Amino acid sequence: MSSPRIDTSVAPSQVYFEDVELNVPLETPGMTLTAAHVAMFTGVAQDVSPRDDGFVPDLLPLCISSGLGWRVPRPPLAVLAFMGFEWRFFLPLRVGDTIRSISVTNAKRSLREGGVVIEERRIVNQRGETTQAGKLTLLVAKRPKP
Amino acid sequence: MLSLPSVSSPDAAFFEDLKVGREYISPGRTVTETDVMIFAGLSGDYNVLHTDAEHMKGSLFGERIAHGLLGLAIQQGLASRGEPAAAHGLLAAVKWKFKGPIRLGDTIHVRSRIVGLKEGVEPGQQLVSVERQVMNQRGEVVQEGETEHVLGSRTP
Repeated sequence: MSSPRIDTSVAPSQVYFEDVELNVPLETPGMTLTAAHVAMFTGVAQDVSPRDDGFVPDLLPLCISSGLGWRVPRPPLAVLAFMGFEWRFFLPLRVGDTIRSISVTNAKRSLREGGVVIEERRIVNQRGETTQAGKLTLLVAKRPKP
Repeated sequence: MLSLPSVSSPDAAFFEDLKVGREYISPGRTVTETDVMIFAGLSGDYNVLHTDAEHMKGSLFGERIAHGLLGLAIQQGLASRGEPAAAHGLLAAVKWKFKGPIRLGDTIHVRSRIVGLKEGVEPGQQLVSVERQVMNQRGEVVQEGETEHVLGSRTP
């Protein structure tokens, strides 16, 4: 008899399409933007744009917000794919600023395989000012049939 | 309002130098597992899509894929190596579609085209709209969208 195989396909509790609640704001913890974030991001993006010290790349806060979104008092969303987004940049951020993100699902549409969820998200700084904001479209799994 | 960074690069591009219809093709870049793991650590997005090879065997994609936002960051870096708006302008807006997966080992490059030039709200600021397509080594468009950049003028 073969040894029991650990079933890694069993995911911990997740929020499926059916469970997504509309118009419930979720606020993440904060993240202070550091020179380390900027160095890692610039390295991985290989962005060669000339920028001054303390400059935070435009797309870095959005990327950090995607991880912050996992740290809200709700199990993670069962995302199958990130379909697209529309985003606007209102205020520049600098190293030393602390961001958090506030998001709310304002629409969902059921498909045969999963469903589409529209999330409005804004990234605020330590003064509560909205620095970047927009709308994200996610394909989310439906609850597995028993 | 967005302010421009202090740029003194000799090849700094100004609004007047750009023309609607001008196209750029970036160098290519192979997206590696290392890129994905650095991005997971940096962003804090450890979704199984990007980090659990066993789970992904049974998924729609059959294997781990790069974060969509990693692809976005990489294409911005690729575009910065030749497209003046990307290298010298701050982003004002992005409209973006993730059309297909970027798999570990895929090589992507960016095709971009200037589609709009207009005056910004602030004096001396102009907006450049660029259409971009991120292509893989098979010529498939994996991401595409429009970016809007704030660019300075020669005579602010």
